[in-house]
Amino acid sequence: MDPILTGFGILADPISLAVILLGTIIGVLVGALPGLSSSMAVALLLPFTIYLEPVPAISMLAALYCAGTFGGSITAVLINAPGAPPAAATAFDGFPMAQRGEAGRALGMAAVSSVIGGIISLLVMVLAAPALAKIAHSFGPPEYFALAIFGLSMLASISGKSPVKNLIGGALGLLIATVGVDLTTGVERFTFDVPELYEGISFIPILIGLFAVSELLSQSDVIDQAKERINLTAIKLPSRDDFKQVWKTILRSSGIGTFIGILPAEGSTMAAMIGYNEARRWSKNGDKFGTGEIEGIAGPEAANNAATGGSMVPTLALGIPGSATAAVILGGLQIHGIRPGTYLFENQPHLLYSIFAAMLVANLVFLVFGLAGAKLFSRISLIPRTFLWPAVFALCVVGAYGVNQSLVDVTIMLIAGFIGFWLKRYGFGAAPIIMGVVLGSLVENSLAQSLIIFDQDVSRFLGRPVAILFFVLAALSIFYKPLFGAVHRMRSGPTISQRGE
Amino acid sequence: MRHWFTTGILAVGITSASLASLVQAADDFPTEPIEIAVHTSPGGGTDTTARMVALSTQEQLDSNVFVQNKKGGGGSVAMSYVSGKPADGYTLMAVTPTHLFTMLRGKSPIGIDDIQGVVRATDDPIIIMARGNSDYETIDDLIEAGQSGIIKWGGTQIGGVDHIAAMSFANEADIQISYVPFDSGAEFAAALSRGDIDAAGLNISETQDQIAAGEFRPLAVMAEERMGALPDVPTLAENGMDVAFSTVRGYVVLKDTPQERVDALEQAMLAGMESERYQEYLDGIGLDSASIAGAEVWDKQIRRMYEAGEATMTDLGLLE
Repeated sequence: MDPILTGFGILADPISLAVILLGTIIGVLVGALPGLSSSMAVALLLPFTIYLEPVPAISMLAALYCAGTFGGSITAVLINAPGAPPAAATAFDGFPMAQRGEAGRALGMAAVSSVIGGIISLLVMVLAAPALAKIAHSFGPPEYFALAIFGLSMLASISGKSPVKNLIGGALGLLIATVGVDLTTGVERFTFDVPELYEGISFIPILIGLFAVSELLSQSDVIDQAKERINLTAIKLPSRDDFKQVWKTILRSSGIGTFIGILPAEGSTMAAMIGYNEARRWSKNGDKFGTGEIEGIAGPEAANNAATGGSMVPTLALGIPGSATAAVILGGLQIHGIRPGTYLFENQPHLLYSIFAAMLVANLVFLVFGLAGAKLFSRISLIPRTFLWPAVFALCVVGAYGVNQSLVDVTIMLIAGFIGFWLKRYGFGAAPIIMGVVLGSLVENSLAQSLIIFDQDVSRFLGRPVAILFFVLAALSIFYKPLFGAVHRMRSGPTISQRGE
Repeated sequence: MRHWFTTGILAVGITSASLASLVQAADDFPTEPIEIAVHTSPGGGTDTTARMVALSTQEQLDSNVFVQNKKGGGGSVAMSYVSGKPADGYTLMAVTPTHLFTMLRGKSPIGIDDIQGVVRATDDPIIIMARGNSDYETIDDLIEAGQSGIIKWGGTQIGGVDHIAAMSFANEADIQISYVPFDSGAEFAAALSRGDIDAAGLNISETQDQIAAGEFRPLAVMAEERMGALPDVPTLAENGMDVAFSTVRGYVVLKDTPQERVDALEQAMLAGMESERYQEYLDGIGLDSASIAGAEVWDKQIRRMYEAGEATMTDLGLLE
């Protein structure tokens, strides 16, 4: 009990509480702005936290991390420009809802699911961190490969559009992910002697291009249409019925997000993708996903915030960061002379509880901020298109440039925008492309690493039970529908003939 | 009369002021903000170290010191950026072994002769490690195993410092290595403890606790002298192998920078790094003040690593 009290004691210290609140607010803001990510904000703040005591310093960064993951959904819903990569999947259904005049409902749902996901993962983190760290540790390249295959198994059905087009989109995403120096051979691929492409195409410009810029181009088609009357439903928050519909999705995604977050090196983005996939798979309205389903917001949002708590587990317990932002927080721990690892919990147990308390406060603060903000921000969706979209474009350019301060990224964003616009006209969605880009390098690198470890002997995957589990899940996910359909037909076959008799 | 007097005072004042600024121009450096170009995005070790150095240095100077992230091309974007700046000491560049290898591959507009070292901020020698419960008790055991079979060795990307170091060692020891590249040190440290790989070149900063707990066994240090933290672990030099690589980070300026400015920067940065804050930072990442070095030592080290890299990369066929 003592370490818990000492840990929560941080909330009684006004300075600590103030920096946690500050971290939360900065987090929501940088999260919402495309191109400013929470990992960047944490990195920039890091040297200044040296003036603070270690515990408030780390708590501030952890709070910023939590809040940043939520912030990204605001712009994803309102202007189809995910403020941060984890919010990409939120745009799939969030933006169609906003266009339908339900921005407030979407934002409110994003806030509530984020908070529930975040809190569930924090509870898991604090109750079972050392045990979970062991699971994280057992994940090697073969297990990652199987996990990535499981992720890709939903590719064909990720959006309601034609499965073939989804697969083509996914292949394009995988192709984009091959740009840059190959990890296992050192060969430069598709870099065309542009040094900025050497480390691969940055994800954020592609995201902004495929979502926001292509939307901007589509909007320019309809610019002359009279703007529908401002409907006040836009600022309405989600109703009780909405929550009745999504509570299972939120719980499922919280579990998925926590699990994916715990895996070292897998962050919120992948958690959100898989959370979205599973929400779609289990939903009664799966076919309508991508057109503005509220479960399509709860799924990724609960998952990406659950991943923040989850990713603190390997970061603290193993010293292996669970995401890009967690990697920077890990640097922060080291600067403050805190050595993460299995021994951390034995030596400084109160630290875990302080971080827990800080992230809990962050979640509660952005719940208030998110719900109050939902009413306020949703009005952005009422701004006439002629004013809104040019402003969005400026934001896109700044966002793409801001990541690496590179004009090459702005060019990539524009190209992605045109390609996205053109593909949309022919019925291709952005979702499978994004999925391919997110999973591309993981699937390729983990396979190459596995094969070197296995001396190029594929059959040795069979010696890895966790990998087999994910391969089986992937196979089920692909073949479940056709098999189930066949069984169903066989069963119902006789009934029909009986009726015929 | 009074009017004349005032003007006179003013004139004298102005003249002396401009005289002062003329005199100061020679040795009053810096008067503008100083930037440090870093080749990664914010948040990695090189970036964080640069930010700590910037903070500590600006307390020694009247000028602001800030970090400019120029990511890409294994340092070539940062090197292009710096090469386009005047050689006036206002632009520093963070240099790691990656930069040297990029120069070697001819992917950079500047070469080793276009830069001069100012200070070194961290020096983290690569240590050859095996699992604590493995059969490799000494470096000789590992070499023996590598001569009769193949050692699976983990490191970062192909062509990076870990790869060049591993291959240099393999060459010198005449052993066979199957190199498994990972994204980060933490990942191949985990792979080593899981048993997916047999050995890896790791830094002390990443593995202190595992070494203390007996999970990892340090076999040899890739340095000329033994490390203070691991006095019982031999160096490869002691074993007759000329292999010295480390995760080293320091700062350089363009070659033509006036010497007095280089000296001024060196002094300010060294004094900054002596501060308690920087020392705490070093301690936090598992290093000590032996990491810090002045222009002479650092400049020599860059050139030596460049030559060693050239020899290995030629052997590996990584150079055309």
